[in-house]
Amino acid sequence: MRRVTPAGPVRLLAVPTAVITGAVLLLTGCGSDSDGRAELSVRAAYIPQPVSDTMAAGFLTIVNKGGTKDELTSVTSTAAGSVTLHETVGSSMEEVTSLDVPAHGQLVFKSGGNHLMFEKLKSKPVQGGTVTVELHFAASDPVEVEMPVESATYNPKTGH
Amino acid sequence: MRKKTFAVAALLAAATLTLSACGSGDSGSSPVAVVSEDGKQQAATVLDQPFPKPDLVLTDTQGKSYDLRKETAGHPTLIYFGYTNCPDVCPLTMNNIAVAKKQLTQAEQDELRVVFVTTDPDRDTPAALGKWLKGIDPQVVGLTGKFATIQAAARTLGISVEAPHKDKNGKIVSTHGTQVVAFSPKTDGGYLLYGEDADVDDYTKDLPKILKGANP
Repeated sequence: MRRVTPAGPVRLLAVPTAVITGAVLLLTGCGSDSDGRAELSVRAAYIPQPVSDTMAAGFLTIVNKGGTKDELTSVTSTAAGSVTLHETVGSSMEEVTSLDVPAHGQLVFKSGGNHLMFEKLKSKPVQGGTVTVELHFAASDPVEVEMPVESATYNPKTGH
Repeated sequence: MRKKTFAVAALLAAATLTLSACGSGDSGSSPVAVVSEDGKQQAATVLDQPFPKPDLVLTDTQGKSYDLRKETAGHPTLIYFGYTNCPDVCPLTMNNIAVAKKQLTQAEQDELRVVFVTTDPDRDTPAALGKWLKGIDPQVVGLTGKFATIQAAARTLGISVEAPHKDKNGKIVSTHGTQVVAFSPKTDGGYLLYGEDADVDDYTKDLPKILKGANP
């Protein structure tokens, strides 16, 4: 199995201070003076081109820069009869009614973990196209996301 | 010393995470991966004690009886347990293998056996399996049959699958295997395991080795 392994073992010892400084600097650059509200943005959204005509999975990351958590309560799309939230538990998936977007954190949908499940698609998503979805939250306003359709074997870690 | 350097890697990962949390919509790669990418390890787990090939007779996508041991004897063989109503891991796993396979010569592709055994036989009829696999690679062998038979075969490979059941909304919940098992053409033993994070590049790199029954 794959493991996270540091690249150049011994010489890295001087690095941490520099890294911490860099991170803190950039954090302040973000402006984290939120007054008790979630500040949501979405990144890394994609749909792998599905095999099935009617069913697909979708992935994205919802980032919350605010100091208060929010909850993703539903996802809608005019492209599909239904979009549901799923958690992978062991090797089966369970539909859930909501997922937390933690304060100063993120809600990650990724292959093998949480995923959006599109069912009753009106047409098969094809690589190069997009599928528009609307994310609905317990507190924040809805967010519209254009999810690009990538290849069936797209790996966000390598970008292809 | 090792511990310390690992802590550094963790810090780096944490720092990158924080960084990307600030970044806006550019669909860049997941930052944690940058770290693992550096020390990218072998995707396959090589087994000291290979699994015997399951003694499994099921029905193929043509509706014909398929004897796994007989049909795949002496062939490099990949076996995966999954189901077609699976939007994420099952099609990804099969497509990863199919795309990697296409990079072999035609003769090598004909030599290789890729076998998809359904874990949801009630819904995955031979026709349903055939249609789905045609969208991935028509050379893949799709097998269906009694769930108990499939589950028992999976268990001999250390793969645990549960019978499909209905959740509280009446939707059918099925399970898929979490591993692909590669069998050597030399010994017919299942000697390599691939987890869900094995991607196209991993299979592309390893398939030529598997064709020879060699370790990747």
